[in-house]
Amino acid sequence: MSTVFQLAWRLFKHEAKRGELTIILLAIILSVGSVLSLSLFSERLQGGLTDRSAEFIAADRQLRSRELVDDSWISKASEFNLNSAYQVSTRSMVFGAQELALSDLRAVDANYPLKGSIKVALQAFGVPEATTESPKQGEVWIDSRLFQLVNVELGGVIDIGDGSFKVTKVLSEIPDAGFSVFNTEPIVLMSTDDLAKTNVTGPGSRVSYKYYFTGETDDLNEYYDWLRPQLNRDVHRWTSIEDDDSAIGRSIARAEQFFLLASLLAIVLAAVSIAVAAQRYSQRHYDPVAIMKTLGAGKVMVRRIYLLQICFITVLGIVLGVTAGFILQQVVVVFLADVVEVSLDIWHWRPLAIAVFTGVICSVLFSLYPLLQLFSVPPLRVLRRDINTTLSSKTLQFATSGIAVFLLMWVYSQDLMISAILFVSGIILVVLLLGVTHLLIMLGRKLGSGKMGAWTLAWARIRRRAMGNSVQLISFSITIMLLLVVLVMRNDMVEQWRAQLPEGTPNYFISNITESQRIGLENQFEQNNVTGGDFYPVARGRFVAINDEKIRTEVTKEDKEVADEGRQGLGREANLTWGTELQMGNKIVEGEWLDSWQEGEPYPLSIESQIAERLDIKLGDKLTFNIGSEVITATVTSLREVNWQTMQPNFFFVLHPKAVENFIPTYITSFNLDESRKAEITKLMAPFASVTLFDVDARINQLREIIEQVSVAVEFILILVLIAGSLVLIAQVQASMDERLQELAILRTLGAKGWMIRFSVINEFIIIGFVAGLMAAISNEFSLYMLQTNVFQMEAGLHLEYWVIAPIIGALTVGLLGAIGCWRLLSLNTGELLRKMV
Amino acid sequence: MRSSFGALLQWREANAKHSLFQERFLVSLPELIFTDLEKENTMTTAPAMIETKSIIKKVNTSEGELQILQPISFIVKPGESIAIIGASGSGKSTLLGLLAGLDEVSGGHIMIDGEPLHSMDEEQRARLRGEKVGFIFQSFMLVQSLTALENIMLPAEIAGLSEPKKRAQKILEQVGLDHRANHFPNQLSGGEQQRVAIARAFITNPKILFADEPTGNLDSTNSTKVENLLFDLNKESNTTLVLVTHDIELAQRCQRQLHMHAGELTEQTKPLRVVSGE
Repeated sequence: MSTVFQLAWRLFKHEAKRGELTIILLAIILSVGSVLSLSLFSERLQGGLTDRSAEFIAADRQLRSRELVDDSWISKASEFNLNSAYQVSTRSMVFGAQELALSDLRAVDANYPLKGSIKVALQAFGVPEATTESPKQGEVWIDSRLFQLVNVELGGVIDIGDGSFKVTKVLSEIPDAGFSVFNTEPIVLMSTDDLAKTNVTGPGSRVSYKYYFTGETDDLNEYYDWLRPQLNRDVHRWTSIEDDDSAIGRSIARAEQFFLLASLLAIVLAAVSIAVAAQRYSQRHYDPVAIMKTLGAGKVMVRRIYLLQICFITVLGIVLGVTAGFILQQVVVVFLADVVEVSLDIWHWRPLAIAVFTGVICSVLFSLYPLLQLFSVPPLRVLRRDINTTLSSKTLQFATSGIAVFLLMWVYSQDLMISAILFVSGIILVVLLLGVTHLLIMLGRKLGSGKMGAWTLAWARIRRRAMGNSVQLISFSITIMLLLVVLVMRNDMVEQWRAQLPEGTPNYFISNITESQRIGLENQFEQNNVTGGDFYPVARGRFVAINDEKIRTEVTKEDKEVADEGRQGLGREANLTWGTELQMGNKIVEGEWLDSWQEGEPYPLSIESQIAERLDIKLGDKLTFNIGSEVITATVTSLREVNWQTMQPNFFFVLHPKAVENFIPTYITSFNLDESRKAEITKLMAPFASVTLFDVDARINQLREIIEQVSVAVEFILILVLIAGSLVLIAQVQASMDERLQELAILRTLGAKGWMIRFSVINEFIIIGFVAGLMAAISNEFSLYMLQTNVFQMEAGLHLEYWVIAPIIGALTVGLLGAIGCWRLLSLNTGELLRKMV
Repeated sequence: MRSSFGALLQWREANAKHSLFQERFLVSLPELIFTDLEKENTMTTAPAMIETKSIIKKVNTSEGELQILQPISFIVKPGESIAIIGASGSGKSTLLGLLAGLDEVSGGHIMIDGEPLHSMDEEQRARLRGEKVGFIFQSFMLVQSLTALENIMLPAEIAGLSEPKKRAQKILEQVGLDHRANHFPNQLSGGEQQRVAIARAFITNPKILFADEPTGNLDSTNSTKVENLLFDLNKESNTTLVLVTHDIELAQRCQRQLHMHAGELTEQTKPLRVVSGE
């Protein structure tokens, strides 16, 4: 064994020094480095984003409950090393000196919030500033609007239930306030110690409890595993930011899927480059193997020598790859420090494990077939140089490589759908390309004859090197396709994100607008040059029956018995609107829109498709609502897909105006007021004191920031995948060099001019690059369609511009890489070429 | 170890002067192809280093099976040098490959130093090559990623001989390249590379040396140097030499020449006559 080890080490050492291992080493470094940097960066970015997003729920995890939970649940959390806090909320009347108003009462303990911060201002509607404190006993912090509504000043006293409290701060923001234009009540924040004093949580009141937890993910998960069996689905809800169905939650979820996709593609690219490099490595060692066998080395010895060499290369590649990957992501993190928030925890073990695993699996699986070929090289090759290997099974090679790629993708992503889509696209591409290669060969037969010129030579070579070229064409196309998938996905995704918040996105919402105020506001907007949105009529109604079958309604202590019976309901009051014009961002997916209603038919209703699915409501179902004392019945005539990510008022239920014609609605609208005109808001809204105004600038800015951060991160990943792809292309060009050597030498010897040979080689690459680009653009459409519709839930469309761009870029890039790769070979004189051939 | 072929020879030797009937009967046996001169030769010499008996080689082509070597039989004594000569495509290298155990025969028998090469598998043939055979090739066949010294050490290491480096240094000195020990093949001239190859071939003190056009890639000055070195070392170590060449002058330095034409051994000169097929 020691002789074998020495021999293997000696070969490895010399080959590494002489640069013989550069390509295969680069391929492994690339695979490990890109997977590590991508995974590490995405993990750190996700860490940063999750931290940031956690601010929206004021914790890492939240347990919402309609009942007070057992104390032991909370004490158990500390056994799992978790921090906890809690909040009790209810609606309650607040009494000032003479006025009263309904408020959203939040009683919090001293630990609240665990993530994010409470923001307060020195005066109503003043500049918010973060504070680490929370209200002390006997004190309350109240929303700016409440100062006006109950006519109280800072330092004044308000009554809530049976208690009196001193107003000590203007409450601007709490992290988990949530955003809904329908949550109209201003918030009052107080200490939980004072809650009993108020007596507002007695029988009949609607109280909800939130328990907040932070800690290590594993601890949180273990705690949840312990807690889960004790939770009641109707009473408790365990949430994390990942469950967040808001625009931010969705953006993050989509970004995570993109990172996963990019990493998967990096793995595939790495696998392709290792396969190409391993093939070349194997071919370059046919002679040494034949020599060793001739000199008496048995199969076992040869096998051990080369397996050891692969081990050395893999270990070196992994060490260098891990180092390069770590440095690369660290450089990017430092470079993007001002723009992107990342987790400060710089080392994560999971990405390291994935990177090493990828390196090992890629090296072993993708070098297996070339190695088996190498082992089968007969000793007779020392006499007959045309004998290569006795093992030749393209089917075996494709099958093993295909299975390996698929398994690697599946294991890594744990997402069968993404893996299957990419894999099937790849197969389709390979089949397409095999057909195209045959066409090219036929074309080459036609174009490669006649008077010798650079193009004629190029076509002739394409025909002669049919097998080599088809393999090269397939790998070029797959590489370009994968790059296109990442590029187009990134563009579409960022474009759609940004489209959610275009310039002029409403930053103010107004609700509780009466009919007369609506006209006044419209005039006011026009006079002051403010762009206002549509006015939507709103009515709050109780959803009571589906097809006359009673449904469960809000759980209160009195109607608990009723609540446990009947079909599942909304669990809260519904906000209804009406109109015959379909709102922006809404799409009918089933049935017909309300405008097709005819007099005499039952009143039509349009319902949002996801809520319909949740409540098992179908087209033709009859829904009953109580609006005030009125009972309204309507038949579901359409299901709508709603883009909740638009900063527009959106509704689950839309009625026909006829159904509510006797009802006097309030309205809701939105408008945009530029940052520079913010001071005008008081003057603008002064005539409309009773409407409720929401300033959502802060939330929009938060959303914008996150989208920007994710976009920058996505761009970085795109660049990394591009580099990975380019290196694969270089490896492929390099791999074909040995085969070209002999031909070049012959052409030179026969007196072909240098420029003609040079151009013929470059032209050959240009033709291959062009075809590869075109094929990649075609298969890209299929992959994108499948990914966007099945995984990313995005709207898919054709990307015709890439049908032109991809072949041109493919021709230029592959041509250029071919020229660079061949340059050294092309600048050798005849003598040198012949010498190299020996 | 004697093969059945060897036993047949013995039987024939014992019945050297038998009846015409017996002669005819024996001659009609397919494996019987020896001339009287051979008989004498076989009878009077020590056990052969190489014995071939009706070896043939067939290959599969797109047009079906093709026999590229007609039945060939001859004997080479220990320490003897023979040259296989013939035009390109005559089957010289194919024959060399079979004799060296680099390829398998399609029929017939080959005995190497008393061992039945024809019935060995690849692993056994590799062992035999490592123990008893040295090689020199037209294109030198040095491992490009090993230095001259390491190339020479390679067979010794594979065979598990002690102190391979010392042996290699000594022999490198003998071929006059000790100053080039750490140079890689591409840093050496053609002549130097072939001298390294010769040193590599002799490091295990092989019983047989197979040389395939050893001067084919060299200029005349280097050719002479390499030839001299080859024959000197051959003489010194009493190695049996089987040399394939186009070069008549080089062939004439061998004790015997076997002429090949279209896969057949057509003529045997100095001092033996023809060894032919059926």
